[in-house]
Amino acid sequence: MQLTEPGESRVNGYLFVLERSLKTFLPRDVVRDAVREIESHLRERIAAADGAPTERDAVERILAELGPPLRVAQAYSAERTLEEAVATGRVVPMMRAIWHLAVSTVVGFFAAIGLMVGYLVGIGSLLVACIKPFFPENAGIQFVHGIPVGFAAQFPVAPTTDLRGGYWVIPLALAFGLGVLVVTHRCGRKYLAWWRERRVS
Amino acid sequence: MSHETWQEQLRRGSLDLAILLTVSSGPRYGLAIIQHLEAFTDLVVTEGTIYPILGRLTREGLLDATWVEGEAPHPRKYYRLTRHGAKRLDHMTREWRAFTEKIDRLIDAARGHDHAAH
Repeated sequence: MQLTEPGESRVNGYLFVLERSLKTFLPRDVVRDAVREIESHLRERIAAADGAPTERDAVERILAELGPPLRVAQAYSAERTLEEAVATGRVVPMMRAIWHLAVSTVVGFFAAIGLMVGYLVGIGSLLVACIKPFFPENAGIQFVHGIPVGFAAQFPVAPTTDLRGGYWVIPLALAFGLGVLVVTHRCGRKYLAWWRERRVS
Repeated sequence: MSHETWQEQLRRGSLDLAILLTVSSGPRYGLAIIQHLEAFTDLVVTEGTIYPILGRLTREGLLDATWVEGEAPHPRKYYRLTRHGAKRLDHMTREWRAFTEKIDRLIDAARGHDHAAH
């Protein structure tokens, strides 16, 4: 079957959406190869299409069998990002994989929130350790009703805020921050490994 | 676990084996692999999700992929089994046979027990 202009633009539209979706997760060369392969699939199917009453019906049936572009993109992303994140444990692939699961599953969304809190607490504690030598009065351990709730920094310090601690806060905040980051990162990696196993293939 | 989830896991778990078996007889391109799977099984629910699996199997070194131009009006990406892939396929096939044999025995035993009970 030779496609007319509307049929051609429908196919190109599908490939455009697929490419845009893949670009958010995958390197450019991988995207180019994936789109080329999907286009090859479509062209082959269209060339062999017969039996459909109209070109539009034939193209829609072929695209439906291939699957919505977002679903195909998600399948690519899941295979690629999860694998890379679990294998390397590097921050960028891990963030990509966590983001991918957060936007595609409910469990992933809540797991991403938990991990984000962990990373923010860790980074925040490290920042307090960095700020303390330069602004000793603005950074320290925050107390609420006499109970320590965590490391904090405030500019300027509000009269109601109770910040305590000398320079000894620096090693404490460093150790705490690094500890939280390591634990959060390990939990994130284990969660992604669990997810990959759950997918089986 | 719902019946659908179990079926889905079973399907996903056997897709790698099915794809490796499909290319074991010789190089095939994506659509030919899908058509072969569709002819023999109902493992392909969404055609587009087979390609990422082919990509993963290639990255794992089980398949080798090559673009071939000029054979058709559009280029085709052919996949063939590597030596490592052949070894893995052999291992997977033996595991699969042993596994299904055990489950079959279990089913036969359960049915025999049912017949005896009636």
